[in-house]
Amino acid sequence: MKKRRFKLWATAGILLTLALAGCGNKEAKDVKEASAKTPEEKVLTVYSAGPDGLAANIQEAFEEKTGIKVEMFQGTTGKILSRLEAEKNNPAADVVVLASVASMDGLKATDQLQSYQDAANKDNINKDWSDGEGYFYGYSASALGIAYNTKNTTQIPEDWSDLAKADWQNKINIPDPSLSGSAVDFLFGYTEADNKAWSTIDTWKKNGLQVNGANKEALDAVITGEKNATIAGVDYMAYKAKADGEPVEIIYPKSGTVVSPRAVGILKEAKHVEAAKAYVDFLLSDEGQKLVADAYLLPGNKEIAVKDRAALDEIPQLHVDWIGAEAKQLEVLTKFTDLFR
Amino acid sequence: MIMEGRRAFGFLMALVTVFAVAPLLAILFYTFAKEGQFDVSQFGRMFEHERLWKTLANSVGLGLFVIIGTTVIAFPMAFIRTKTSLYQYDWLDIVLTIPFMTPPYIGSMGWILFMQENGFLQQLVPSAAWMTDSFFSLFGMVMIMSLHLFPFLYLMLKNTLLRMNGSFLDAALIFGRSSWRNWLTVVLPLVLSSYVLGSLLIFIKTLAEFGTPATFGSRIGFQVFTTEIHTYLSRWPVDISMATSLSLFLLSVCLIIWYFQNLIGRRYTYGVLSGKTPAKREIKDKWYIRASSWIFVGMVLLLSIGIPYFSIIVTSLQKVRGDGLQAGNFSFASYQEVFTGGSAGLTAFINSITFSIMTAIITAIVGLLIALYIKKGETKKQQVLDFFSLMPNIIPGIVFVVGLIMFWNAPWLPATIYNTKAMVVVTYCVLFLPYSVQYIKSSFSQLDASIFQSASIFGRSNWHVYRRIILPLLMQGILTGMMMTFIISMRELVAGLLILPPSVETGATFIYSQFEQGNVGVGMAVAVITVIMTVIFMFLLDWLQRRGGQANA
Repeated sequence: MKKRRFKLWATAGILLTLALAGCGNKEAKDVKEASAKTPEEKVLTVYSAGPDGLAANIQEAFEEKTGIKVEMFQGTTGKILSRLEAEKNNPAADVVVLASVASMDGLKATDQLQSYQDAANKDNINKDWSDGEGYFYGYSASALGIAYNTKNTTQIPEDWSDLAKADWQNKINIPDPSLSGSAVDFLFGYTEADNKAWSTIDTWKKNGLQVNGANKEALDAVITGEKNATIAGVDYMAYKAKADGEPVEIIYPKSGTVVSPRAVGILKEAKHVEAAKAYVDFLLSDEGQKLVADAYLLPGNKEIAVKDRAALDEIPQLHVDWIGAEAKQLEVLTKFTDLFR
Repeated sequence: MIMEGRRAFGFLMALVTVFAVAPLLAILFYTFAKEGQFDVSQFGRMFEHERLWKTLANSVGLGLFVIIGTTVIAFPMAFIRTKTSLYQYDWLDIVLTIPFMTPPYIGSMGWILFMQENGFLQQLVPSAAWMTDSFFSLFGMVMIMSLHLFPFLYLMLKNTLLRMNGSFLDAALIFGRSSWRNWLTVVLPLVLSSYVLGSLLIFIKTLAEFGTPATFGSRIGFQVFTTEIHTYLSRWPVDISMATSLSLFLLSVCLIIWYFQNLIGRRYTYGVLSGKTPAKREIKDKWYIRASSWIFVGMVLLLSIGIPYFSIIVTSLQKVRGDGLQAGNFSFASYQEVFTGGSAGLTAFINSITFSIMTAIITAIVGLLIALYIKKGETKKQQVLDFFSLMPNIIPGIVFVVGLIMFWNAPWLPATIYNTKAMVVVTYCVLFLPYSVQYIKSSFSQLDASIFQSASIFGRSNWHVYRRIILPLLMQGILTGMMMTFIISMRELVAGLLILPPSVETGATFIYSQFEQGNVGVGMAVAVITVIMTVIFMFLLDWLQRRGGQANA
């Protein structure tokens, strides 16, 4: 009888282990492989803040070119930063791509990044968007504008203050800055460059400004006609929707807007440094930059032609200094969320 | 006998402790320990925020309103299905559980798409625009959640009413004075206790709900505990100790409610099952009762299934969303995209299926072992195990998820499953173990002692008895539990959002992220596929239960 009991235990145990091992297996193997042959690492973990399609295309092209397998976690900038924080004891990511240079600089300041001074093609990349010591590179950027519904809009807005007019009452929204890195960048840049910015934001609030989730959620409200305009809408999403035939258009206010760079950096705790370097090189290469342009983003390399969108020098820009901005951004974010809670 | 004695208890307890209790202890630890010292400042910090009280008020208020909402729907429905001629349409019961099986975030997205400014309602009936503003309020949220949760209360009430149809009412008719008085003194008290139990469970389920508050609530600026915890964990700037403090607070609230529920359950539950089986009486009602019953049922079906599903399906078929409902604006492009080999949506969907099947298998095995040990829960040890294995039912999923993250990221652990797919399966198993334990326990309780006695007389060995007699008899409960676990795992959202490793998405997180950054049409296509599969499984489930000749409430 004892034997029989043992048999049941054993079967149950084996089944359990099998089931658990079945799903843990792959990762375990990957880790083993990686540690066994350190010189030629074949895996890379990337945490990347959108856009979906671009990240997937880059991943595919990079895997094809280098034979390195990319494990990708996609999320908003906020999600990625918080995931890094939660995993501090147990870091998993090698490369991180954020939609906000200030947050990237924050990672550098808290000693979470490592420098990669001799990245290939780094000289072609916009200096304003990158770290001078090679901790991160601004490989692309989006400009923030006013995305509006072409069916419901009679008077096209020209400047930020226009959206405080009665025509736009309850018809405007903004992406939630705690979810969207570019929305924080906008608030920060706008309030830094224009000392009347907060009072303009206040007039928007009085005009029924709704805080509407992440970037696509805010834009979707305009696409379906629920709202007529998104403030600080990321332009590449609007161009993409327009190309898909949606009734949406984007303008850049004439008094200037924020261009929000998206940067890539290698984490200090990265386990696959060589592969990570290859990834950064790829993003900065002409091939990677073309993929960026195809996704309607502004390439970090100005020489690369953009497609169906305004080029960088056609956009009226507010000058923003991103370095050391993180603490200030946090203040802006807190002030904004307090205002809208 | 198998699964008896100290060693079995030790093994099962260890299993339950590592997977279900340790995460809760991890929350306690992270909240109260700072650099190895006992420290209440983290927890105290939470009380200083006036936001906590706002959140508490929101959560509790929402719970109470949803109780009212579900009552308004479930009570008449239970009456219609037991006291009017509609009692004969058993298919109604399956259809009425569809809203409960629909992932809540999908249901509320459907409602949002329908009711929003320039949404489907305004496109169909432009003059209904005035409804939009009043819908995007607490009222709308309560309505969506009540429409999602009512089947639960309805089934409880219906079963109580059905059981009372027999000898109780006969006795009341013979000894009672008037039918009105019978109602007041016999039926009402009997229904009341099961109503109170049901509504407390609705309350706990409302507190634990994440999907609707995350989609609809964020829209109207209505924060509850689950969304606050999620915010602290997943938005910049992150505040993990705040998340654990809030989890602990929510945990305590739920345990208190559960305690009262138990108290009421023990004190005011009467045995309504008597030996006499209720005779099926032909019910003939007046035409107006019949008509109004059908109208009521129709309304509920329209609101709980018709509208959300209409929006989901239409959105998944739209070519240009900005063009709205127009001839020629429809195509299967989103579905094509999903079914193109290796698309992100399909991969996510298949991941969901894999995780759910594994969860179903593992919980079935563990649930069976636990149920075999617990039996009827007569000894202290059996009761302890019973409590711990059913605990995930009364503690909101997000609390467990937070605990599991904390536990599996602890620096002293020699190895961790965090950031692997195993973590997902373990989390699902912890969250859904109660389903399999409950189903197997309930089929076990139907086995009479005589089966064991005759088996031990005629059977060759204990093992033989288990394999040939007990397992086959329990099989139906095991399978039902597995199906249920599968369906519930398929729709799990909050665990996925917080613990999925890189490169892995589930159907639920895929749908959710399509709203944030991607293509809503494709997200809705995956939602439609998920729901179709769920409905097929529900019919299978029903067929299984019928075959077994028993009804699980």
